[in-house]
Amino acid sequence: MQETYLRAYRYRNRFRPGTNEKAWLFTIMTNVFRNRLRQRPAPEDPIDQPGADFSIYEQMRREGMPVHLMSPEEIIVDRGFGGEVKRALEELPVPMRMVVVLVDVEDFSYKEVASILGIKIGTVMSRLHRGRQALQKKLWEYSGRPKAPSLAVGAR
Amino acid sequence: MGDHCEQTMRRLSTYIDRELSETEVKKVKAHLDDCPPCEQVFDFQAEMKRLVRKECCTDDAPTRLRAWVRQLATEKPKPAQ
Repeated sequence: MQETYLRAYRYRNRFRPGTNEKAWLFTIMTNVFRNRLRQRPAPEDPIDQPGADFSIYEQMRREGMPVHLMSPEEIIVDRGFGGEVKRALEELPVPMRMVVVLVDVEDFSYKEVASILGIKIGTVMSRLHRGRQALQKKLWEYSGRPKAPSLAVGAR
Repeated sequence: MGDHCEQTMRRLSTYIDRELSETEVKKVKAHLDDCPPCEQVFDFQAEMKRLVRKECCTDDAPTRLRAWVRQLATEKPKPAQ
């Protein structure tokens, strides 16, 4: 964060007034983050590969829960899925986590995220899709239920 | 699951993220009004998104940072070096 401040200050002449300053700032933050990651060997993330779909709703329905009679809050909170969202997000592989945070928490559009991270919109969408599924899978496991079907390729 | 259901499910994330065109939004909306099972999936996924936002919003530093950058941006531009 400090380094982001520093860089934003150092490069303040490059900011064009009237453009989206939030996106500009996140570009800097992302670059700082990326440089850090580059300094240590990157673990391989199978992030852009297709896998089996997972959602808490679908999984509960499959297990015979009357999900159609329950509100989303009842499913998430009452059944113990809501407590550790932050931890689940922090455990996602970094590229997925970045996309989920930028879209869901920071409210950027897909197009803005693509430009901030320097990736294609299609990649934003696939990482978002897989990131959200991985998040729900973690919440499922944290709630003490038996391991959910694997997201790994060919697991079905 | 009918064709409409499948199409709607495929567009659900983009619908929730408000990334669809107006025409497509109308189509999805019309189907959700018509199909309680799809509407329930929509409600659930939309709630998940709200939850992520609520639980993970670390507003403090970014708010100050944004305010600071905004201030930088409105300062008189210095002559280019």
